[in-house]
Amino acid sequence: MIDFARVQKELVECSKDAEGSGIRVIPKSDNLVHLIGTIPGPIGTPYEGGVFQIDITLPEGYPFEPPKMQFSTKVWHPNISSQSGAICLDILKDQWSPALTLKTALLSVQALLSAPQPDDPQDAVVAQQYLKDYQTFVNTARYWTESFAKTSSRGIEVKVQKLVEMGFPEAQVRSILEAVGGDENLALERLL
Amino acid sequence: MSKRVLCKFFAHGACLKGEHCEFSHDWKAPPNNICTFYQKGVCAYGSRCRYDHVKASRAQPSTPSSSIIENQPLVSESVVLGNTRITSNDVTTAAEFSLSNTPYVLPSIPAWNQESVHHDFLREDDVVQSIITSPSELPICSFAAAGNCPRGEQCPHVHGDLCPSCGRHCLHPFRPEEREEHMMSCENKQKHLEALKRSQEIECSVCLERVLSKPTAAERKFGLLSECDHPFCISCIRNWRSSNPTLGMDVNSTLRACPICRKLSYFVVPSVIWYATSDEKLEIIDTYKAKLKSIDCKHFDFGDGNCPFGTSCFYKHAYRDGRLEEVALRHLGAADGDTIIAKDIRLSDFLANMHLS
Repeated sequence: MIDFARVQKELVECSKDAEGSGIRVIPKSDNLVHLIGTIPGPIGTPYEGGVFQIDITLPEGYPFEPPKMQFSTKVWHPNISSQSGAICLDILKDQWSPALTLKTALLSVQALLSAPQPDDPQDAVVAQQYLKDYQTFVNTARYWTESFAKTSSRGIEVKVQKLVEMGFPEAQVRSILEAVGGDENLALERLL
Repeated sequence: MSKRVLCKFFAHGACLKGEHCEFSHDWKAPPNNICTFYQKGVCAYGSRCRYDHVKASRAQPSTPSSSIIENQPLVSESVVLGNTRITSNDVTTAAEFSLSNTPYVLPSIPAWNQESVHHDFLREDDVVQSIITSPSELPICSFAAAGNCPRGEQCPHVHGDLCPSCGRHCLHPFRPEEREEHMMSCENKQKHLEALKRSQEIECSVCLERVLSKPTAAERKFGLLSECDHPFCISCIRNWRSSNPTLGMDVNSTLRACPICRKLSYFVVPSVIWYATSDEKLEIIDTYKAKLKSIDCKHFDFGDGNCPFGTSCFYKHAYRDGRLEEVALRHLGAADGDTIIAKDIRLSDFLANMHLS
């Protein structure tokens, strides 16, 4: 049986501090079992500036069982599946503690974004890239943030459109934009 | 004589006289359950009265009742000492009494107890005072002790001194031990109240509620972890420790650990108050363990069962004849020089280790 009184308290507590931490949790529907959490990308990482959405499903035994969390925003990260958004984080599995809350769990996810653990990967492809070619990893991650995690995620499309209209092939525009992390002017320099 | 009758106030846990009480403070003493109104003639409760409706001479604290017993041997034997000494003769008499005695047909002044009926309370006071000589024998005025004595200066009883802790005039001026006892118990009560007040504010880190504001009384308890000082309510911490180890959560490293600091604790102690010092915590744990030690272990089942906790069990391991279980631990010297404690050795253990060539 989910302790809804506690979930309610957590939501209130979280909304009080939403300005400071940037972490928000809102119910998806009106039953409090499905929630949506949002975390800002940590500053100084390729995820900076992005806002990431996480689908939260509370299991029957919450808070004695960990909440199920999954990125619904696409993320390029060694410990997060680039396909499904599944998160590889110990506190969401065997290291869960009932003293943790949705907010603290989301904070841990945010910390995971700034400190990837490529030795214990969820997405092998990303982890390989992280270890072998760090620069490309950073660029890809930044591009993905730019493409999927910006509130104006249409922004990248607008840039592509613009550059294509200048007469560059779309595929090249996209790959260069990805390489420079979505910076329109840098991409134009490269293209020229 | 009067020492044999159980003190009514003591039975309710509220006798102010302590060891100076003229009635018995021993639970084994028979209680005096005789209805005084019935004795005097009519009891308004009739058959619904919770006291015994029997014709008996009242056992009075200041008068030796043995003389009355001699006067009415039949009655007093069947009643005063009630259930212990009923001869066949008495049974019939008692039965006759109960048949014929409906309270409303009783004569207003029963013949067997005339003396008692004319008994006056003021006179009783006089009797008591005439017997008592030493000031420490004087009973303390219970009105003054409770707050206000309407008789004031004229009160024939001793007015107690003010107790600094509870603020009542309940300290007997001439009984030092009683004073000491009262002060001690009062101080303890005061401490308990303060601790309770402090505990009100404390929240459980799992349900995020104040532990002492929970809806049911069973939930309004803290669960003290033996190894750390993080507060939880007893239901939350027990729930966590007994929750199913899903998702690979390990019982011994995760579930037995404190949810906050992850320090392993081997047992949880329920407590109504939260402690402020480690001494207080120790005291709570010791009281709890002592209490459990007096309860027979249901796993051990007086030697018929097998307790999985063995010598670490908090409950009492005693056989039916009251003999405590004696465990001789078998120490085995292991190959590397360490000493290990041998558990029950099974034949299968040897067979499993045998290498058949």
